[in-house]
Amino acid sequence: MFTKSFKNSLIVLTLLISLTLFFGRSIASEVGISEDTIKIGQWSPQTGPAALWGAVARGTETYFKMLNAEGGIHGRKLKHHIRDDAYQPPRTVAAVKELVGRVEVFGFAGGVGTATGMAVKRYLNDQKIPWVGPASGSSRWANPPTRYLFALYPNYVDEATILTTYAYETLKKKKIAFFYQNDDYGKEGLIGAKKTLEGYNTKLVQEVSVEPLDTDISSQVLRLKMANPDIVILWLLPKHAAMTMGAAAKIGFKPTWMTTSTLSDAPMMNDITEGLWEGVIFDCFAELPDSKHPLMIKYKKAHDEFAPKERWGMFFYAGFLFAEPMIEGFRRAGRDLTREKFVDAMETIKNWNGGIGHNITFATNQRQGQRSVFLGKCVKGKAVKISDWLEVK
Amino acid sequence: MLTQLSQIIVSGLAIGSCYALIALAMVIIYKTSEVLNFAQGEMAMVSTFFAYSLLSTYNIPFIIAFPLTLVFSLLLGMLVEFAFLRPAKNPTVLGLIVITLGAEMVLYGFAGWKWGAETKSFPSPILDTRVYNLKGIIISQLNLWIFAVCISLMLILFLFFRYSKLGVAMKATAQNQMAARLMGIRSKRILSFTWGLSSLIGAVAGVLIAPITLLDPNMMIDPLLKAFASAVLGGMTSLPGAAVGGGILGVVENLFGWYVSTEFKSVVAFAIIVIVLCIRPSGLLARHYVKKV
Repeated sequence: MFTKSFKNSLIVLTLLISLTLFFGRSIASEVGISEDTIKIGQWSPQTGPAALWGAVARGTETYFKMLNAEGGIHGRKLKHHIRDDAYQPPRTVAAVKELVGRVEVFGFAGGVGTATGMAVKRYLNDQKIPWVGPASGSSRWANPPTRYLFALYPNYVDEATILTTYAYETLKKKKIAFFYQNDDYGKEGLIGAKKTLEGYNTKLVQEVSVEPLDTDISSQVLRLKMANPDIVILWLLPKHAAMTMGAAAKIGFKPTWMTTSTLSDAPMMNDITEGLWEGVIFDCFAELPDSKHPLMIKYKKAHDEFAPKERWGMFFYAGFLFAEPMIEGFRRAGRDLTREKFVDAMETIKNWNGGIGHNITFATNQRQGQRSVFLGKCVKGKAVKISDWLEVK
Repeated sequence: MLTQLSQIIVSGLAIGSCYALIALAMVIIYKTSEVLNFAQGEMAMVSTFFAYSLLSTYNIPFIIAFPLTLVFSLLLGMLVEFAFLRPAKNPTVLGLIVITLGAEMVLYGFAGWKWGAETKSFPSPILDTRVYNLKGIIISQLNLWIFAVCISLMLILFLFFRYSKLGVAMKATAQNQMAARLMGIRSKRILSFTWGLSSLIGAVAGVLIAPITLLDPNMMIDPLLKAFASAVLGGMTSLPGAAVGGGILGVVENLFGWYVSTEFKSVVAFAIIVIVLCIRPSGLLARHYVKKV
């Protein structure tokens, strides 16, 4: 049997553990909240293939710094904990478990990537931890709705539907081709476009795909050219979109190009394509970089003060956008904050325009916060708004 | 129809030559030390970034920046060999390969930290958008350059290994390091030079590819895999083999993408290797070596 000293040490250990647990709980009424702080976690790729999107988390950080400088929310300052997952789902899981178990965050804001978010979606909901604004347009965040997850980013199916409808009805172009990345991101766009055209009893004239790491797209572009479309919709990485512009220019292929919000950073795209991005139509879910919207001016000021080295681009201020409803939720839930009260408060957000997005609405069975986008066009290297906010009918 | 087919073959050869260039760099190291260098791609990527800094940050003209990049890449290759591979005590070949994987990660992290993750365009004087139209077949200035550089480098290296004293010494070191050393060959210096040379060829490839693939720390991941496939196809030790392998790979990939499906275009490269290795285990252009024990 066990020796006596072993038993004794076991008792001491049990006592110690229960004591720490007791004190851990007794400080505040809810995990992640103290008298003067709220802890919020976020994962994003700061290294690796998708490091470009890491700017989202740094944007959220700047947003929180700005709010803290204004005095915080109901007397509490926001403490932001960023973890780098290098866009690898196993590392996301590890980071999230560490933030939940050791740091004890109240909830998560942003969280970049589809595959990475999918890896922790169920865990977070099971643990009843709120998560607001996944930085990805997958339609699976809000379908089916789960209590603790609030999606914001208009999903890719909706985006593609709006773009295709615009091409067909407003631009009156009937021959539409689609070039997509062969994964969830690209395929959701493809579904949206196909379904919309089915509604008009017609079809895409061509659809071609590319793998995320491919370097040669010449045969894809040639196939697109041979189908002779009026419009080509791109659902790609920035790099592939830029390569497409180059390859198309090379073989004298000049359709009207349309693309998703992921590629709506027109100045950047114009820069890396050396001017070939001119005339490309894209959709946006937030104000444009040089918008005169009062909040955008305020955010730009925060950027100049707290993160002057960051490029003032779409990904960076999207970090503000994805966290805005969470802050609104905190404001509505009041000083006496718990996770359950927070979720209830989030559900009272209806047609909310207090941020840089549009008509954000949540309800008991509604977790897709924003469903509208507007269209922009690259004119002389700058993004120009060419439509009002559009919504899927 | 014929024009289309020719166009696809030309585009295939163009991208295939890029694979071939990196494959050449891999083969050189493999020939002298039997090590597969997985850091090859990142070495080329870092050199390309160096060229980018010279060109766009310091506005140095290409004609000066390019030789400077070559010198940098030569030193970089030697440094990687000196800092990572040489310290290994009684290494096995597998151990060395794992070390190159480590070096790859270090260089990848370094590039991400130094130049950031945003995609950049590479300011090259040789343009991919300046094209020539030969009876309907379109070929860009850059494509022509890549062909030319690939073929001449292959020839130069082939002659170098066959006829120059240094080249023969490199081959000798590969076959039996101890014997080579007894014959008065400074095998360590040879190894160091091999890595420098290989890195230099990688840099040439990087600078030539960058206008097409654009510049970011991931630019070499796919080309490296394809180059590896080309080298295996050609037999891993054969320089003409690497070039031929690259060409075949590029063309088959593009034909497949055009006639069958774009969805499996990339996969087909690896299917080819499996088939070739089943039929000719030592690759297309290499002699089958049986080591006596």
